Amino acid sequence: MTSPGDAPPVKPPPSFSPGVPRVASKARYPDQRRDSSPALGSTSDLAGSRINTSPTPPLSATTADLPIRIASPHARSVRSITPQLTRSTLGSPLEGRFEGSEDIRSLIARAFSPVVAVYASADTDELVRQKGFKGGFWELIRPFGEDVHGKVVIRDIIGAGHGWEDYGVHFVDLGGVVQNRSPGQDSSPLAQVEEVLERQLNSADDPLVGSVQPNDVLGMPSTSSIYKFFLRQLLSASPVSSHETFRHPVACVIAISSRNTAPLESLRQLYADTSNGDKKMPPWVHSEFLRYYVLVHDEDRDDITESTKLYDQMKRHFGLHCHLLRLRSNQCVVTDDDSVRVPECEWLSPSEHLQGVGQTDGVPYLFDSDVMAIKTFVRELVAQSVIPFMENRVAVWNDQVASRRRGLSGRFMSLSRRWTGFGAGSRSSFAGSGSGGVSGNYDAVHGFYKPDTPEAILRKLADFAFMLRDWKLSASTYELVRSDYGNDKAWRYHAGAHEMCAVSMLLNPLAISGKTKLETVDQMLETACYSYLTRCSDATNGLRCLTLAIELLKSRGGSATESATRWAMRAMDIGLVGSIGQILFSERVSACYASKVGLGSGVWKQGSRRRKAGMWSVFAADLWLKNRKPALASASLEEAERLYADVLDTDGVFPMPEMQSFIDNLRHAIRVQYLGARGLDTDEYADDSTAPLETQATEETSEKLDKRSHRRSLMGIPNSTDPGSLNPPPVTRENETPSHDDFERA
Amino acid sequence: MSYYFTILSPTDAPLFNIAFGTSKSGGDGIARFRFPDTAQYMNQFIIHSSLDIVEEAQWMNGNLYLKHIDTYPPAQAYISAFLTPSGARFLLLHQPPQLPSTSSSGGNTGSSSLLGSSFSASALGGGSSGRASSSSIAANPTAPQTEEAVRQFMNEVYENYVKTVMSPFYRVGLEIKSPVFRARVTAAGKKWL
Amino acid sequence: MAHPRHGSMLSFGGGPNNTTPSEKPLFQNAPISTASQSSPGLRVPSNRKTIYDRHLNRSRNAELSRASFAFLFSEMVTYAQRRVTGIQDLERRLNEQGYPLGLRLLDLLFYRTIAGSSSSSSASALSTSSTTSSPPNRPLRILPLLHLIHGPLWRLLFNRPADALEHSVSPDTPNEYMITDNDPMVNTYISVPREMSMLNCAAFVAGIIEGVCDGCGFEAKVSAHNQPSEMWPGRTVFLLRFGESVMEREVVLEKAGVK
Repeated sequence: MTSPGDAPPVKPPPSFSPGVPRVASKARYPDQRRDSSPALGSTSDLAGSRINTSPTPPLSATTADLPIRIASPHARSVRSITPQLTRSTLGSPLEGRFEGSEDIRSLIARAFSPVVAVYASADTDELVRQKGFKGGFWELIRPFGEDVHGKVVIRDIIGAGHGWEDYGVHFVDLGGVVQNRSPGQDSSPLAQVEEVLERQLNSADDPLVGSVQPNDVLGMPSTSSIYKFFLRQLLSASPVSSHETFRHPVACVIAISSRNTAPLESLRQLYADTSNGDKKMPPWVHSEFLRYYVLVHDEDRDDITESTKLYDQMKRHFGLHCHLLRLRSNQCVVTDDDSVRVPECEWLSPSEHLQGVGQTDGVPYLFDSDVMAIKTFVRELVAQSVIPFMENRVAVWNDQVASRRRGLSGRFMSLSRRWTGFGAGSRSSFAGSGSGGVSGNYDAVHGFYKPDTPEAILRKLADFAFMLRDWKLSASTYELVRSDYGNDKAWRYHAGAHEMCAVSMLLNPLAISGKTKLETVDQMLETACYSYLTRCSDATNGLRCLTLAIELLKSRGGSATESATRWAMRAMDIGLVGSIGQILFSERVSACYASKVGLGSGVWKQGSRRRKAGMWSVFAADLWLKNRKPALASASLEEAERLYADVLDTDGVFPMPEMQSFIDNLRHAIRVQYLGARGLDTDEYADDSTAPLETQATEETSEKLDKRSHRRSLMGIPNSTDPGSLNPPPVTRENETPSHDDFERA
Repeated sequence: MSYYFTILSPTDAPLFNIAFGTSKSGGDGIARFRFPDTAQYMNQFIIHSSLDIVEEAQWMNGNLYLKHIDTYPPAQAYISAFLTPSGARFLLLHQPPQLPSTSSSGGNTGSSSLLGSSFSASALGGGSSGRASSSSIAANPTAPQTEEAVRQFMNEVYENYVKTVMSPFYRVGLEIKSPVFRARVTAAGKKWL
Repeated sequence: MAHPRHGSMLSFGGGPNNTTPSEKPLFQNAPISTASQSSPGLRVPSNRKTIYDRHLNRSRNAELSRASFAFLFSEMVTYAQRRVTGIQDLERRLNEQGYPLGLRLLDLLFYRTIAGSSSSSSASALSTSSTTSSPPNRPLRILPLLHLIHGPLWRLLFNRPADALEHSVSPDTPNEYMITDNDPMVNTYISVPREMSMLNCAAFVAGIIEGVCDGCGFEAKVSAHNQPSEMWPGRTVFLLRFGESVMEREVVLEKAGVK
C-alpha cells in the first residue's frame, strides 16, 4: 500500500462522478489532459507562457513579482507535482511550531520588561539635540534599552541563575509617566491600535505586506509580521494604571552633561524633582525606586579629565549607581566613516505611532563609538543595577509579606479577615491584616491601594518576579492575592491578578500538565475577562488578556490549542477587535488549528485540525478581500490551500459543490481586485481570466480521485451505470486492461 | 432551530443534503440560518471542518451515534454526528434561532467595530442573552432531550439509508437522489426535531 | 454489462430481501431520474410500495433455495471466467464481485441488531463480538472486527459461524490473520479441473470479507486458499492482510486504551 503522499500525482481518473455536469465535462477531458501535462512537467514554462501572452509590459512585471501566485493554476500544479516537497515540509511541523512559539513567548516576555524612567537636565537634552535627536536624551537611548547586549543573568527566588539573551528594559520619559499620557486620550487605545494597523497596511511601499510572503513561500504556518506588529501594539497600548505595576518605573535615570556648571546641585535638584517636585509620581506608584545617575561627557568639546574628576565626586556622593557616558556632540551623517544606523524602536505605543514618532527623517545615524558607549551603559545599568535591585526587592518582599501570608498564620489571618473581621485593629505593618471583613486598604473612591499596603506590595512583588521571568513565583503570588482583591471589590486589581496568574502559569515552561491545570487557567481567564469587560469596561486590558491567553495556549500545543481558538472566537464575537483585528484573529485561529498535530505520524493520522485551519484561512482571505487587500487575501487563500491539501484530493477539489464555487469565486475576485489595484484594465483581464478558471474547473473535476489508498477499493465499484453511457473506454486509456478498467485496484 | 443535514461518504463526498427548520413548538419547518442567503456555503464549511473532529472521535468511540461533537461558536452552530458501520457520516448542523437582541454579535461577517466605550454594554448584552437563550430547553442544542431527539432522527435516517444501500441499483458512494428517501428524511425531521 | 449482474448478486447475497420479484425497487440509476419530486422517470411499483416501505427485518429468517444459489453462483463463475487471463485474474474478478456485498452487508448487519435488539435471536447475533450488548459498537480494533466476521457475518451468510480464527505466528507478518471454513458453502457444487487446482472460488467470499474490513475502516487484502485436510477436503483458509495504516492505528489505540 502506498501512503497518500507517495501516490503518483497523475492517475487514471475514476469515473466516479456524482453530478451530471461533471460527466459532461469529462467528454473534453483527454484534450485537457494533453494540454496540461507539459505544464505539470515544468511550471516555469507555464508561468512563462502566461507572461508572454499578457498584453502589457507592466502586467508581466506584476505577474512575475507576485510570489503569492494570484493565478492559482500555477500554485495548484506546483503542489500536485511536488507532493514530496509538501509532505516533507509538513512532516516536521514541530520544528517550525517550536520556533514560532518561542518567538511569540519571547515577544510577550519582552513586552513586560521593566520600565526605566529617564529624567535629564536641560543641558543634557540640549547636547543630544545637537546630535539630531529632538526628543533629547530619552529618545537617544530608548532603542538601545529594548535589547540589552549579550546575555543577562537573573537569579530566581531560590537563587538559581538563568541567562536570557533577549532581555531588555523600556526607557520612558519621566514626564510621560507622571502625566499618564494624556495627549492621545481622545480615542480609546483599541481604536488607536486599529488605526495604526490601518495606516500600516495602507502605507505605500508596504514592508509588512512584503514580509508576509517569505513565510508563505516556506510553507510553514509561522506568525505573520503584521500580526506580530498588532501584538506589540496591543501590548504597549494600555496606559499606566494603578492596578498593575508593569509600567511603573523600576528605576529612574537622572542625567546631566559635562556642560553643566553646577553638576552636583543639578543632580540633587533632579533627584528632588523625582521625589516630590512637579515630577512626582501619582499616589499609587511606589516611591521606592532606584535612582541611577549618569554624567554625559561631551567628547568633542569638553575635557575628559574634568569629567572624570566630576564622576569620582558623583560616585562619592551617590554611591555605585553612576555611569560616565562619553558621547560626541557632533551630528553624525550617513557619509561619515563610522556611521551606524540607530535601531528602530520596537515598542512604540499606538498613540506614538499616530503622532509619527520614529518616522522623522534624517535622524537615525550615530557614530560607532557612541553606539558602543550607549550599549555598554545600558548593559551596565540593567545587569549591575536594575536587576540586582529588583532581585533584592523581590527577596525582601517575599520574605516580609508573602511568606507570612503563605504560612499557616497568614492563612488564618486571611480567613478571619474574610469572615469575622477578627484581625481588625491589628495594624501590624504587614501580615495581610486589614481593618475588617473588607480590608480598609482599598481606596474605593479613587480606586487604588496605597503603595505600602500589603495588597499593593504583593502585586508589585508578583510583577517584579514576572519581569524577572521567575514565573513560578509570580504565579504563586498572584494566586495569593487574587481573592483579596475580589473581597475588596477592587475589580480591576482582581482582573489583573487573575490575568497575570494565568499568564504566568502558561509562561512557566514546567508548570502545566494535565487537563485540570488547563481548566484552572481557563477559569482564571474567564474571571479576568469578566472583571475587565463587565465590571470595569476596560476593553484594552480585556483584549490584552484574551490575546495573551490565545498566544500562550497556542504555544502550549495539544489540547490547549482548542482553548486558544475558543478564546479567539470569543474575542471576535464580543467585538473586541476591529475589522482588521477580526481578520488577524481569523488567521490566528487558523494558525492555532494548524499547529495542532494529530496522533499517529506516518500513514495513519488523526486528531489534526487541517480542515478547520483551512476554513479559517479562507474566511480570513474573504475578509481581506472585503477590506480591499487583495495581496493579503491571496496569501491567506494560498495558506488555506496548503492546509486543505492534506485532506482534499490531490487537486484540492472540495467535495462539496458550494464550498468549491465559493473558493473559485473568491480566487477570481482576488485576482480581479489585485490587478485592479495595480491599475490594470480589469475588465479586459477579467474576460481573459475566466477562461483559465473554466479549464481549471474541468481539470479539477475530472481528476478527482481518492488519495486515501485504503479507500481505493471503495471506489473500485464498477462505475459505468450501463455499457451504453457516455463513457467510452478510450477515455481512461492509461489503464492496462481497457475492458476491465473500472476495477482500479493496485 | 434550523437544521442542515448531510450524508458524507468515507471519502468526504456529499451523498445527500437537506436544510429544514424545526416543526416543534409552532415551527414551520423552514430553515432560517444566521448567515445571509448568499452565505449558505457557510453550512458546508462548518460541516466539512467538523470532519476533523469526527475522524478523531471515530476511533475513540465505537458507538454509531457520536452525539454532539463540535461547535462553531461564531454562529452558534452545533454539529451532531452518526457513523454508519460502513463509514458513511451523517452530520447534522443545528443552530438555535437568532434572537433579535443579539443582532450585534452575529457571525464573523457581521459588523464588529464596536470599539471604545460603547462596546462593553453590547458585549454584555450579547453574552448574557446568549446564555439566556441556551437555558430554554427547546433551543438548547446540548440538552439531553435534544441529544435524544437527534439520536432518534439519526436512527430513522439510518434505517432508510440501509434500505437505500440494499437497493441493487444504488452504488455505494453515489449521491442519493431518490425523492422517496428525501421525503423520508423530511418526515423524520418533522417527527423528531 | 458487469453492473446489472452485480446488482442482482448483491441483493441476492445481501440477505434474502429480494424474494418477491413483483416488488420492483425504485429504479435509480437511470440518467433521467433526477431529484425532482414529480420526475417522469420515477416509476413506482403497481402496489405503490417502494423499497423504503419494506421492513428490513421482514425477510430475516426467510431461507433461500440452495440449488438456486448454486446455480447463480456457477453462472457468476462462468461469467467471470469468460474474460480472464489466468487463475489469479479469475480470483480477482470473484473478489471484486464480493467486495460491494461486504460493504452493504455491514450496514444491514448492524441495522438488524439495532432494530431487533428486543428479540432474543438478534441480540445473540452480535453478542459474540461486541463488548456491550446493545447498541452494538463499531469495531475499532482488529480483534473485534475478526470476531464480527467470524461470528455474525458468517451466521448471516451461511447460518453458522466460521470454523477457526488464527493469528499469524510469524513475527515478520503480524498483520496476517486467518479465518478457516472447513466446508465453504459456495464451493459445494464447484468442481475444479485438475489443471486449475490452485483455484478457489471462495475468493468471492474473500471479497465480501474485504468489503467488510474496508467498510469498517480497516484496509485489508483478503485471499482464499485451499488447505484440504483428511476430514475436510474442501477446507479453505481466508488470509487477511491488514495494511500499514491499520497496524499503526492499532498501536496508537492500544496506548490509548481503546478496545
